[in-house]
Amino acid sequence: MSVAGFIRDILPLLWSGLISGCLYGVGALGLVMVFKSSRVVNFSHGNLACLGAFVVYGFSSGSLLSLSWGSAVALALGIACAVAVVSYALIAPIVFKSDLASTIATLGVGLILQGVVQLVFGADIVNLDLPVPRYSFSLGAIRISSYDLAVLAVTLAIVGGLFLIIERTRLGIAFRAVSTNPFACEVCGLNLRSVHLFSWLAGAVLGLVAALLIVPTTFLSSTTVPSFMLQAFTAAVVGGFSSLPGAAVAGILVGVAMNLFSFYVSPEFMNTFLLGVILLTLNFFPNGLLERAIGGRV
Amino acid sequence: MSARGAHVDVVRLLMLALVAILLLAPLLAGGFLLYSLSLCFANTLAVLSVSMLVRYGGEVSIGHSFFVALGAYAVAIIEHRFGLSIVVSLPLAVLLGAGAGFVFAFPSRRLSGIYLAVATMALALALPEILIGFEKFTGGFEGLYIAQDLLPGMPKALQRYYVALAVLVLVCLALAHFRKSAQGLALLMAQAQPRAAEAMGITRSWARISIFTLSAALAALAGALTGFASSTVSPNSFTFFSGVFLLVGSVVSLNRLSLPAALVGGAFITLVPTYLAQAGDWVPILYGVALVVVTLVANAGDLRRFLPRGMRR
Repeated sequence: MSVAGFIRDILPLLWSGLISGCLYGVGALGLVMVFKSSRVVNFSHGNLACLGAFVVYGFSSGSLLSLSWGSAVALALGIACAVAVVSYALIAPIVFKSDLASTIATLGVGLILQGVVQLVFGADIVNLDLPVPRYSFSLGAIRISSYDLAVLAVTLAIVGGLFLIIERTRLGIAFRAVSTNPFACEVCGLNLRSVHLFSWLAGAVLGLVAALLIVPTTFLSSTTVPSFMLQAFTAAVVGGFSSLPGAAVAGILVGVAMNLFSFYVSPEFMNTFLLGVILLTLNFFPNGLLERAIGGRV
Repeated sequence: MSARGAHVDVVRLLMLALVAILLLAPLLAGGFLLYSLSLCFANTLAVLSVSMLVRYGGEVSIGHSFFVALGAYAVAIIEHRFGLSIVVSLPLAVLLGAGAGFVFAFPSRRLSGIYLAVATMALALALPEILIGFEKFTGGFEGLYIAQDLLPGMPKALQRYYVALAVLVLVCLALAHFRKSAQGLALLMAQAQPRAAEAMGITRSWARISIFTLSAALAALAGALTGFASSTVSPNSFTFFSGVFLLVGSVVSLNRLSLPAALVGGAFITLVPTYLAQAGDWVPILYGVALVVVTLVANAGDLRRFLPRGMRR
């Protein structure tokens, strides 16, 4: 393989890895938000995002209603937030008692949501595109499409918004305080429940956004979105599971690494590759790959 | 004899009665029920492996289907390639399961159980593509058949039933013994009082690796019996959800390691899908509700605090 050919291959791979990596990062941010505040690994994350994506499909394609894409998304956001509140309310009695029991309970919530998706929408495989005009241009060896730009814009907006909330608002300060020392917060009279609820709602929104943006590259079925969340989980582990910037950066790393692996090694063993990444990270960088670079803060 | 001693005797008698009923069941049960029960025993063993991990390690796994599949495919591949029966492949499957469990648990030995749970999710999702990808060994989508008998001359259905039942009873006895053994107590101590355990030379990471290794070996044993009892292995029986369902079975049996409790969990995940086949999509909902309700009730402590104030006593 010549050097020129290598560069011709690698640049588009890096670019598309960056784009899908942004979405893995957004998915991972939702997991990390929930974990930082309530110490629960939310296994229903993918199933809730899947339900949301199906709601958008059902309400905009005419299979349930034929609304505009925007209003379908608004409805899906509402439903996702309501489900997030209900699932937090379900585990609220045990959330301070046992991390593992609450984690198991989120798995139960995930199973219920999975069943609901299968009941309402069946085992169909459907397409759900973004309402952006088709358009693309070339930049050297890289082909940039309107979809790529939409993903970048949404990711930047949502990550920027999230960091503004966490850095600048009272809610964000409360969130940082609770994730550092919940006991001291309780002593100071902070309501832990409202902070938990904020992070669960943020997690639901982030998951839905990631799902809506990733679905156009493949298709929507009752299993694609939950298994897409494995990429988000991997990004969260690589980022250290309790670092928001770590999760965002690790998402991009995972996206690029997956693209390289599937091009140069094998596209059939993606999950096995992610399993390997998780195990190697846990062994050699238990606090995340980026611990040294950015520290464990925020 | 004290009242407590008498109580133990009643429990023991009931246990013996249960085993006797199961031993005599083939006289009454028809072919399909017998087949379901054999699978149920194998699944009960898999549920026990998850419960063991929860009890002794305080850890959750949703990827034990991987080790179950390892055991089942080991039996199938050894018969296919070398023509050897389960007499040889069963111990090999257990060793393979232990090895895989060790390799898997090693990286997260110093971290909290939550990291292990996430890693088992990756394990469960990687399993189907491994089974399909290594088509040369695993037979791909179609899977493999397991045809050889353990005891020549005995009807196939009865063999499957009695072999699975015998292994299940033996494992339950072994688990009861393990609870009282020095090793079992050491593991429990490492979980409940890590510092005290460390002072006695039992490190927490050692305890975590060894319990996961034991549990994975038991899961592989369960898998070998699943393969033997169903005479076939294929990727259909090892999807992402089969790992989650094993955890459902374990939670429903309250993570207990006794024969009756584990049988309840095993029956819940074996017989519900069989007999509610036409209600297919309701099964995940039913399992999800069971998982949430049992977890809440088992962990919420005094349930009376959910009653209105006036009704509390």
